[in-house]
Amino acid sequence: MRAILLAAAVVLLAGCGGPPRADAPVTVVFKHARMFGDDPVPRLVAAFERRHPGVRVKTEALGSSSDEQHQFFVINLEGSAAARGPGFDVMMLDVIWVPEFARAGWLLDLTPSLAPGELDAHFPAAAEAARWNGRVWALPWNFNVGVLYYRADLLARHGLGPPRSDAELARAVQRIRAAERDPKLEGFVWQGKQYEGLTCNALEALWASGTALLGPDGEVLPDTTRAAHALARLRGWITDGISPPWVSAADEELTRRAFGDGRAIFLRNWFYAMDLFDAPGAPGRGKVGIAALPGRGAAGPSPGSTGGSLLGVSRTTRHPAAAVALARFLASEEAQRVLAGGSVLPTRMALYHDPALVAKRPHMPRFHDLALAARPRPVTPAYLMLSTSLQPELSAVVVGVKTPERAVADARRQLAYALQGLR
Amino acid sequence: MTARERAERRAAIGFVAPAVVTLAALTAGPALWVFWLSLRQRVPVFGIDHFAGIAHYAFLATDPRFWSAFRVTAVFTVASVALELLLGLGLALALRGQRVGRRAALALLLLAWALPGVVTARLFEWLYHPAAGLVNVALGVALNWLGDPALALPALVLADVWRTMPFVALFCYARLLTIPAAVYEAAAVDGAGRAATFRFVTLPLLAPVLLVTLLFRTLDALRAFDLMFVLTGGGPAGLTETLTVYAYRSLFQTLRLGFGSAIGVIVFVLVMAVAAAYLSVLRRREAAA
Repeated sequence: MRAILLAAAVVLLAGCGGPPRADAPVTVVFKHARMFGDDPVPRLVAAFERRHPGVRVKTEALGSSSDEQHQFFVINLEGSAAARGPGFDVMMLDVIWVPEFARAGWLLDLTPSLAPGELDAHFPAAAEAARWNGRVWALPWNFNVGVLYYRADLLARHGLGPPRSDAELARAVQRIRAAERDPKLEGFVWQGKQYEGLTCNALEALWASGTALLGPDGEVLPDTTRAAHALARLRGWITDGISPPWVSAADEELTRRAFGDGRAIFLRNWFYAMDLFDAPGAPGRGKVGIAALPGRGAAGPSPGSTGGSLLGVSRTTRHPAAAVALARFLASEEAQRVLAGGSVLPTRMALYHDPALVAKRPHMPRFHDLALAARPRPVTPAYLMLSTSLQPELSAVVVGVKTPERAVADARRQLAYALQGLR
Repeated sequence: MTARERAERRAAIGFVAPAVVTLAALTAGPALWVFWLSLRQRVPVFGIDHFAGIAHYAFLATDPRFWSAFRVTAVFTVASVALELLLGLGLALALRGQRVGRRAALALLLLAWALPGVVTARLFEWLYHPAAGLVNVALGVALNWLGDPALALPALVLADVWRTMPFVALFCYARLLTIPAAVYEAAAVDGAGRAATFRFVTLPLLAPVLLVTLLFRTLDALRAFDLMFVLTGGGPAGLTETLTVYAYRSLFQTLRLGFGSAIGVIVFVLVMAVAAAYLSVLRRREAAA
């Protein structure tokens, strides 16, 4: 409907004013998810317009859930006639959609527009998610990494340091709970509900066990023994009493609140949670430490998976130069500094040691080291298919209705059919 | 057939034609299109679009996830509809017997039913919260409502019963109001007790309404989506994933249009079969009456 109105308006305007003049302002539409708190996007857009007098930017906010945004983009990009375009030029993309959208032919190849090494200033994991098939399809914009939060006050009181392995974490939980005698104090909380967050937790478990979801040749769960081992660890947290049974229905916010209210010793969550723990008046302020996720055995800490978003340009945009300029400006160090002054974490490494930002968010240098070691979720156009097929199997292991071996075999069978002919 | 009858017949066809054409365009057309899609392998992201025959149906026939969704849909439908009918009927009888505050009671009933599904789901998300949830606090237990494989589906059935039992209650209550007092007086004169009056007077008179309500509720329950989508995402272990949630995940989340359509077609056939069964029962009752 909007497209029809827009087309009608264009026809009317063209009919009234004759052919458009070369210096007439160009309008670029930016579709993005609403930012939390004080939205920095209008300020950034105004700064861009000042520097590009011929370009107007229209921002349009999307629904809050990632599922809704994905559905909006897919319907509009797939359903729109190539000649008319989808009605927007620049879009904010979840980190897991970039290869899918690129494979579908919806994104403009940005490789020719970039300076050599332009992505080198971003974290390697963020840059990796922007590339697919040897080309760059989007610009990294903001970032999140899965990490281990711990109650620094409790660990210090019992003479413990942050755990480097799962065995150390289990011992720390047992010791602290035995000494504190607080029945409301849980051990380690993480995200075990059947949804994308569980996939992230499982990926991290797979990496800690020295394997991955996709093999180098694209095989699903190539090392079935280690994969089963990794999933057994997720279930083990619950059966060993290290994690409460309710993690099987828990998402990021449920676990963040439990930990933030002082009801858990350890939490697996994203960077974003730190600002909330550290907010003035928060019960956990000053008591929360942050560390790499525990590894398995003597291997040392393990990488966290990454989240965040990138900026892509529609392949059918009528103003590619202006749209690419806007995306590059928004991803620039200058713009990311403004974003980082709010609640967003940037993808540019240098900002994590920027004195003004560090004064405001003192944990940023620590984030820098953890983000360097992070790994993206599998960069494949079939990612959502992989993840949604895997989630019921992962959840089945977490609640104990399937053995890890059986779940791995079932996941491989499901995905063999889903991925048929998709490579 | 006389000339006049033939003319009337022609006119009648002319009158119903717009309705038939509209229905065909809005219902039969898309249905046929979905069926056609279900015979294709179509994944637009990967530029795949070719005929696949019954490959999707053949895969689904041995797909444990499909059969799990089928079982979940069946259990959810039978359990929630049965509870809704029993409680709704009981509530309607109680309402009829109520002397004061009937209007307020009706308004309260409507409130639960008038809430959008997603709002109801969010409400129950908090009620079932493992630590701060009212259900656990009120019962003095620490149950993992939405994460325990044995509790998740019953928890969803409970939420659905809370939401739609008023619908059944209102239908039954409306019918109860139209039963003439004389019928009950006659039953009393004949010496019928409360149980006999209910068994031989109220229930038979309510039966047609109950059957229609049963039909509506069953068709709705077979297509259940919003509660599980918001509350559990189909988990844990896929034990609350209904056929429509499976279809949504295949169609919209991963854009496997052919495969997702095949699940959609199966849901459609299932719903039509159940509807046809109910309608034949209704028709037989009418013929008998």
